[in-house]
Amino acid sequence: MKRQWLPSTILRAASLLAPGDQRAEWLAGWRSELWYIPRRGSTVFCLGAFRDALWLRRNSPSPGKRLESPLSCLAFLALLAAPGLLIAVLLLPAPDTMARSPHLNVRGLLEGCVAMQLLSSLALPAIWLAMGPGANRCPLPWRSRVRRGIFLALKIALIQPMMLGGFVAVCAMPIANMPFSVCWILAIRWALIDQRRRCPECLRLLTDPVRIGSASQTFLEWYGAESTCSRGHGLLQTAEMPASYTGKPEWLALDDSWKSLFSEVAGVRQP
Amino acid sequence: MADGPRISHTSAMILQAIGIGHIYGYTVMEVTGLASGTVYPALRRLERDQLIRSQWERQSIAEAALRPARRYYKLTPSGEAAVEASRKRYPLLARLASKEEEVQDV
Repeated sequence: MKRQWLPSTILRAASLLAPGDQRAEWLAGWRSELWYIPRRGSTVFCLGAFRDALWLRRNSPSPGKRLESPLSCLAFLALLAAPGLLIAVLLLPAPDTMARSPHLNVRGLLEGCVAMQLLSSLALPAIWLAMGPGANRCPLPWRSRVRRGIFLALKIALIQPMMLGGFVAVCAMPIANMPFSVCWILAIRWALIDQRRRCPECLRLLTDPVRIGSASQTFLEWYGAESTCSRGHGLLQTAEMPASYTGKPEWLALDDSWKSLFSEVAGVRQP
Repeated sequence: MADGPRISHTSAMILQAIGIGHIYGYTVMEVTGLASGTVYPALRRLERDQLIRSQWERQSIAEAALRPARRYYKLTPSGEAAVEASRKRYPLLARLASKEEEVQDV
């Protein structure tokens, strides 16, 4: 087989974008095609692999098992927050240089977190509006609404130490603040997107996305994806192409008559 | 409104290419003139929409020919219907068929 280091490197780099469980087959497919490509066009050919890998990543159902339950999500965020705090503490200036340094000091760490929390709270409505409307949901009991609110607040609170670590790192290193700001907005946006992908009742991530209809064959009809709460609380229908009549995702609450159908599934998922 | 599935011009070109016998990704690229970053995701999308199906060539055949196994594509019945519909919608697609004779190995 022909060995060309640049196309092989490009394919290997692009394969990192493909989902892990399909990466080997994806790479084998591209390598076998590369064998037939004339040498002079092989690099350009391989650049298309990035787009293909991204398509595969975007269209592969990956429910994110680690973050499925609300508690595991919070635990995962706490795990990420710990190094953030550590970075913030390690990169703080020594006490004798504090007076002439604009950096945060240890005592200011908590104040920094609170300040970041306030800024996030201010940015939250703007990001929420920019993301568009959430799902249409039937009126939820107040307990569910409070639980959802507390969960969102905890997620955003746990993001702050990570952001603070980044902020301190930005202050310590001569790099622009813009990437940090973008990361901060993206982190808040992730918290909101994650919130919208969860069952409003049990706060578990919706699973088993099923495609309904297909863009290639549908004209002026609804097509998109439908995800299910593994506990049988309801279905979330999300249009692939938002239109005036399908602007918002639709949450369909399932009544108790569906419970028997989901009890086995829940049993399998929860050993 | 025309009956049958409505597909984009790019998808129609790719379906037409597969329909006339260009069953590998690279040969589809060659005959349509589309870039790899367009053809391969489109092939995946068409397969997801069940207009084509793909299969890996037998390893024994590839080994006998001293080359790696390739993935080849075939039209499904709904894909054939889509090609028929797209030929009416995009009459210039028939020009792809004239290139079929030039291809020796499919």
